[in-house]
Amino acid sequence: MKILSLITIGVGLLIAAPANAELKVFACEPEWKALAEEIGGEKVEAYSATHAMQDPHHIRAKPSLIAKMRNADLLICSGASLEIGWLPILLQKAGNAKMQQGEVGYLMASEYVDILEKPETIDRSMGDVHPEGNPHIHLNPHNILKVANELTDRLISIDEENRDYYIIQKSSFDYKWELAIRRWEKKAANLKGENVITHHKNWVYLSDWLGLNLIETLEEKSGVPPSSSHLEKVLQTARNNEILAILRTPYSPSDASEWLAEKTQIPALVLPFTVGGNEQANDLFSLFDETIRMLKEQK
Amino acid sequence: MKKLTLAASTAVALVAFGNVANAADNSELDALRAEVQQMKNLYEGKIEALETKISKLETKKVEVATTEKSVPASSGRTVLGNEFNPSIGVILNGQYSTFSNNNSEISGFAVGEEGERGSEGFGVDHTELNFSANVDDVFYGSVTAAIAEHEGSTEVELEEAYIQTLAGAGLPQGASIKAGRALWTLGYLNEHHSHSDDFADRPLPYRVFLDGAYNDDGLEFSYVLPTEDFYSEIGGGVFAGNDSPFGGSDGEGINAWTAYARVGGDVGDNTSWRVGASTLQGEAGSRTSNEDMVEFIGDSDLYIADARLVYAPTGNNAEQEVILQGEYFWRSEDGTYEDMDAGSPVTAFDDSTSGWYGQAVYKFAPQWRIGGRYSQLYSADTPAGLAGTALDAAGYDPKAYTAMLDWTNSEFSRVRLQANREELANGQDDNQFLVQYIMSLGAHGAHKY
Repeated sequence: MKILSLITIGVGLLIAAPANAELKVFACEPEWKALAEEIGGEKVEAYSATHAMQDPHHIRAKPSLIAKMRNADLLICSGASLEIGWLPILLQKAGNAKMQQGEVGYLMASEYVDILEKPETIDRSMGDVHPEGNPHIHLNPHNILKVANELTDRLISIDEENRDYYIIQKSSFDYKWELAIRRWEKKAANLKGENVITHHKNWVYLSDWLGLNLIETLEEKSGVPPSSSHLEKVLQTARNNEILAILRTPYSPSDASEWLAEKTQIPALVLPFTVGGNEQANDLFSLFDETIRMLKEQK
Repeated sequence: MKKLTLAASTAVALVAFGNVANAADNSELDALRAEVQQMKNLYEGKIEALETKISKLETKKVEVATTEKSVPASSGRTVLGNEFNPSIGVILNGQYSTFSNNNSEISGFAVGEEGERGSEGFGVDHTELNFSANVDDVFYGSVTAAIAEHEGSTEVELEEAYIQTLAGAGLPQGASIKAGRALWTLGYLNEHHSHSDDFADRPLPYRVFLDGAYNDDGLEFSYVLPTEDFYSEIGGGVFAGNDSPFGGSDGEGINAWTAYARVGGDVGDNTSWRVGASTLQGEAGSRTSNEDMVEFIGDSDLYIADARLVYAPTGNNAEQEVILQGEYFWRSEDGTYEDMDAGSPVTAFDDSTSGWYGQAVYKFAPQWRIGGRYSQLYSADTPAGLAGTALDAAGYDPKAYTAMLDWTNSEFSRVRLQANREELANGQDDNQFLVQYIMSLGAHGAHKY
């Protein structure tokens, strides 16, 4: 009986604990956490479910994520099935009505940009292809802007009291971001038409933006480690063409791209891919600065 | 609005000033001025757009209703009329097993159908069919039927058929009610479908104490507590008392109940953990086991402690991962046992049995994992009336060693080799070798932690 009353008191205390005034954002990936901080400033407290060393497609629905999601106000993820292996179970388990599909607190970034590589037909023998198209949308800064628009709307809907604050933050972000885009596009102008080889198909939006030519992918089938016969084919392509670099994310296995780099003397680059992907890339601006700097270095 | 324009022009001025100060010559200065002017125009256009948005917002609160939202790119299905069909998933699970011993009795324990050693040779033991969908805005529904072979005849078992409240059903945040038949929250493995297990068979405590898994008919309440820095959940349920370790209830009323509590969290960026305690208590009207030859009538109270730790050495679980997991079981029974096979009298039994298992699985490459498991049971002292029956352990404690290696081609297919050495009764050593495949067709929901 004593234990029971102790539990009751404990639970009571937990429920009674005063809610933090900040709007809590649960981001699936670091880039969306960074964006929420850009727009939300001091009015939001953002948390990222994954860090730059993790493949956001393959994390576990671990207990800490349930706790964070249960207490959040807004969910922002890439969507397009990138988080299919863990997000649904978190949403179900956390029981947070504010963040269910269709609610203001449920924001899937890929629904607000033009999706590339949407398959005409789909079969799982093609590897881990997402029926919605390629979900790695954030490496085109124009997409960031589109998502920022939607995010601002959502923040205002949830937290009307701070509407003016969000609008000012957003205006200031837009201004800085558009300047930055001009800077990046100017800097990267001579990268146009350069051939690159990538490990996984997560560089499609960057290539599309900068006009890079994705000549070959080390993974023949998305999400399935490269086979030796396919690697031979890539090697031939690499030898017969002028290639700028072999790109991979900090979380991609290094073996295939390092093997190819050794065979061909083409540099294997680990680009930051997201915020926190290397020491310099600590916010959205420096993420793109770094990405372009590293690509330019190969020219 | 004034405030906004003021802030905006200050921002522009600041940026302009910063650039001016750094400008080296006049032409560059002019170029910068032009750029700033251009940006200013752009910026003012933005503000105008935002102002329009505000006035719109002021007259009408933004509604992000599903019905109004333009169909996002993610709704990949375009086949008309199929939108409301439930998700369908099939698990193909096949096995080939060899055993070195003909006997597989577990000394001191009577086991049910699911807890027995699998069948030798080829078997497509647990082909599962799952249908699930949101029923409406309040309920989610799921049905899982297992198609299994038992002694030459194909049986369809209703493994799960439940409804569950959705968030937004009006219950407090974090709360949920599940009703019907389900793999209830108990220990670690019980709520998981066996196809997601790390080994081809369940560890000994699950086989003897829960006959594989507890999926009685009933109702369960769960509540994720509002702790933010760590996860905590409590819950419990009431059940008919028809599934092992109970059975033979007349279907009237509630004959069993559960309660559980769990906490979990992270250590650093790359390690997560969860520990839990749960209990399953009730009255068995008639629990039959050992092919209906052993019957238990009475109270059965089971307590379980479980722990799990997942560590990603490189930070990326897809690449490398270590999983440590263990559970401890303690069961107290007060009632009568009868072994009809041995012709024993109905004998009073008031004692406890226990068991545990510990396992480690190491993903050393993205597609490859190795694992080891040890299971151990502790039998009770045999009452005089049960001497010489299946329940007479004669002081022997059953144990089993397991090693496995599996290869995961994609997240939808896995092939596994497993070797067991079971020492389940005195002098009854059994070396087993199993090859298993698990494939998933169609919709396949996310796996729990």
